[in-house]
Amino acid sequence: MIKSFFNQLFQVNKKQSKGELLYFRFFELFVVVYTVKYAWEWGLYLTRNSDVVLPLGIANYIDITFMFDETAAIANAMLISILCLLSFFRVQFKWQYLLALILLHVQFAARYSQGEIPHSMNMIGISLMAIALGFLLFEKRKEIIRFTFGFVYFYVGLSYFSAAICKLVGTGFTWADGRHLWLWIAEKGTDILSRTGEFQLNWLQEAALSSLALATVILLIGWITEFSGVLVWWTKTRPYVVTAIIAMHIGITLTMNIRFDAYVLELIIIGYPWDQLINRCIGKGYLSTIFNYTRVQPSRRESLEKL
Amino acid sequence: MRAFTKKATKYLVSVLIAYALLVTVHEGEFWPFSIYPMFSQAGNPWTRALVRNVSDVPEKQLWEVSNLDNLYGQPIALSEYGVDQIDFANFISKTENWDQGRLEAIPHMFGREHIRNQQLMIMSVRGRLTTQDSVVVQAFPVILVKADTTYLNPELIDISNIKSQ
Repeated sequence: MIKSFFNQLFQVNKKQSKGELLYFRFFELFVVVYTVKYAWEWGLYLTRNSDVVLPLGIANYIDITFMFDETAAIANAMLISILCLLSFFRVQFKWQYLLALILLHVQFAARYSQGEIPHSMNMIGISLMAIALGFLLFEKRKEIIRFTFGFVYFYVGLSYFSAAICKLVGTGFTWADGRHLWLWIAEKGTDILSRTGEFQLNWLQEAALSSLALATVILLIGWITEFSGVLVWWTKTRPYVVTAIIAMHIGITLTMNIRFDAYVLELIIIGYPWDQLINRCIGKGYLSTIFNYTRVQPSRRESLEKL
Repeated sequence: MRAFTKKATKYLVSVLIAYALLVTVHEGEFWPFSIYPMFSQAGNPWTRALVRNVSDVPEKQLWEVSNLDNLYGQPIALSEYGVDQIDFANFISKTENWDQGRLEAIPHMFGREHIRNQQLMIMSVRGRLTTQDSVVVQAFPVILVKADTTYLNPELIDISNIKSQ
């Protein structure tokens, strides 16, 4: 049973296709773009930090304040960008993505040493790790792709389930009490007021604040959705549970003004069988331009096939 | 392909063990690993922070506690100063000893050149559920910031006094 679970997680019985290759390249590009984006956003903010309030990760072992210097922060962002771009265009050693991940960890530890730990960037970190390990540990293109996606499915599912368990442990069954949502709406509203100088309740927040039952139902649906996160592990249930999780994130944005853009975009990418859609498009000749291009330029096709 | 599944599973489980060890010894967080504890402790009081321009506010009113819907002074948007409001709130709420270094860090965050002749009041905002099933949010003035100096609320020795109110 365990064997068959991992066989389906890593999609060993699936036929290789051009659609899968293009799909993987698109996913890789998405992860590279967000990695570079975070490296620069965190790097450019770092000079505003002057002290470590709460050491995170590697900052527990080294004095991370050297990263508050503009030169170090920018140099690190530049190095991460170069490593990712070289890797994406296959000018690479096997460990390049892994090095980029380690450097991004340093950038994160320096940037978010200020007391509150955000989680909206974890999925990109996990995805970069999946790609890094895929290239480091496997040789064949098919195996790299299957390992990467299997790894991402597993840890994405685990993350939502873990969040649900934390709520059960941290508060118990009363977590879904709608009054808790009232308190969070006030908290996040204060954050918006602080950030922009103004804050207006939206229709859903007003409805939740005027009805304890509705507020409770909103929390309960979100909590059940998190518990069902493990269903991401199975191919058949993945599209449905991912749709529910995306809806949950939209609900969180509406009620608590917290946006998880990278999470939602990545869920859209990994949650549905886009490779099958691409294969259908190829079958109907919609993507012939891409493949004709590689046909007339054999060297390009060779590099594409090498991944 | 069966050999692949075996190898892939071995590495996946190895990472899972490393994941478990790292989050266990680092209080649940070792990026990108996490136990995802956000919002796990529901109903607890919270503390955030905001800034008001109090240049035109009478001096006797400066250190008054107010509710969120009747704040004195003009709103300041932290985003216009490039300051992250979450970092700022944590800096204010988690600082227990307001030594000179900590006080100096605030005008540094805003940039002294951007403060110019404004007087900015840093307020610690605290929210809690009452026994009457409502949410109370109050703003406590903590630090008055001018371009060349900062003043700690004279009635407070440190932020912990606010927390106990």
